[in-house]
Amino acid sequence: MKCSEQMKERIHHYLDNDIKQEDERILREHLQSCTDCTQHLHELEKSIALVQSTSHIEAPVDFTQAIMGRLPKEKKTVGVNR
Amino acid sequence: METIVKNRIKQVKKGDQNAFAEIVDIYKDKIYQLCYRMLGNSHEAEDIAQEAFIRAYVNINSYDMDKKFSTWLYRIATNLTIDRIRKKKPDFYLDAEVTGTEGLTMYSQVAADVALPEDQVETMELQQMIQKEILKLPDKYRSVIVLKYIDELSLIEISEILDMPIGTVKTRIHRGREALRKQLRHL
Repeated sequence: MKCSEQMKERIHHYLDNDIKQEDERILREHLQSCTDCTQHLHELEKSIALVQSTSHIEAPVDFTQAIMGRLPKEKKTVGVNR
Repeated sequence: METIVKNRIKQVKKGDQNAFAEIVDIYKDKIYQLCYRMLGNSHEAEDIAQEAFIRAYVNINSYDMDKKFSTWLYRIATNLTIDRIRKKKPDFYLDAEVTGTEGLTMYSQVAADVALPEDQVETMELQQMIQKEILKLPDKYRSVIVLKYIDELSLIEISEILDMPIGTVKTRIHRGREALRKQLRHL
């Protein structure tokens, strides 16, 4: 990408929803004419979407039970040791 | 949610172990998922996720009730996964062939107990590919990317979990995203 580091920074701030209004205006204008930056943004958005698409796994069924079985026993007579 | 959790924690502090089971039920999927995405291996993920809850239980008196419980729990789990990554033997990977088999990897072992229709198999293959790319990220980028995009936490929460300034979190997310872009753009 030939564009300035500052423009790349703006893209990341935009992705973080953390961009100043003025910077967003500059970025939008720039994207209209710069195919490199537009593609860069699209590739970043695609990577994020791919990573997010993996986000649905659950703990094994007996998970809670396994933990409860491994907890140290409460020592009621000597006071709690933690 | 936080109110329910805090009431349960009070009970745990009084010695009611069963109240802890409810806390585990509330957070188990999130914590397990974090561990799985960080480590890429279901056995290790289960091991570390269990360890995180056990440490939370044992150290419950050092939890500051004025702060969000999930942040504290995430911090324990993230630290454990990073420790594990650093200690990890480099010779064990999910895509390594299982000894004595041809073309059989740990992925197929993990998936073997359920028969899946074709489209689900394709989805799984894509997901495994993405998982492999996540695992290629250096741990300092991997943790922020997983916390932000898989556990969907805010930048402020991530900065509290990792105990680092928000500016550092942002920089790492930017670099992590750039690394992922290079790895994933051809998919």
